Amino acid sequence: MLKRSNVVKLVRLLAETREIEIGCDQCFERLDSFAETELSGLDASAAMPLVGDHLDKCAACRSTLEALLRALRPT
Amino acid sequence: MRGLGAAIGGYRGGVEANFGDFAQEALIKITGNLDSFRGESRFTTWAQKIAVNVALTELKRRRWRDECLQDLFARREAADRGSADTQLTTEQLALQNTVLQELRRIIDEELTDKQREAVVAVLLEGMPISEVARRMGTNQNALYKLLHDARKKLKRRMEAAGLSPQEVLAAFEEG
Repeated sequence: MLKRSNVVKLVRLLAETREIEIGCDQCFERLDSFAETELSGLDASAAMPLVGDHLDKCAACRSTLEALLRALRPT
Repeated sequence: MRGLGAAIGGYRGGVEANFGDFAQEALIKITGNLDSFRGESRFTTWAQKIAVNVALTELKRRRWRDECLQDLFARREAADRGSADTQLTTEQLALQNTVLQELRRIIDEELTDKQREAVVAVLLEGMPISEVARRMGTNQNALYKLLHDARKKLKRRMEAAGLSPQEVLAAFEEG
């Protein structure tokens, strides 16, 4: 059952809901390009808005991107 | 492999993990998926992406294997109770009640059983989508799409009831 404390959380997600969103598979397909764009100092979300939007909404894909960025950064 | 250590070092269980566990599966996935390399990034970046995904998937699986959902929900409930109520005006409270009633009605009457289960577990309880997908016998991509359809339906029904998400949020956040 929906609790009062969850209403704002849910409404906030609805406010961000777009008619067209890509799924995790399509996001993953472009994740290497997205990471390289980000590492080159460019705005990857501006270059790939649908991927950026998915990453804003999907914690699982975001964690994959963050791990990939850690792997790619020179130590 | 060096990159893989950096990638998952921060994860629970990541430090103790034996990279050899992941390396073999990662190599199999990389060689098996060469067709999907589109040349839009360097090959090494693409290969790292596959390896990182293999490692994270396995670490998540290990982490959730022993986690009982009831314990997780109980902890969340305790955390909810602990948070102080913000001061709301009578108008805000009335609007909040209307929104609550309407959302409950839509969730109960208009979402499918699967949509309802996914909305509660992922969006409200904050369970990881990959784990909910596994438990529902589907995959992460399909579950994301199911949730996207559910969000779109909720948004449309809310708007049809005269409650635009932006207006509702504005009213809550102005106070």
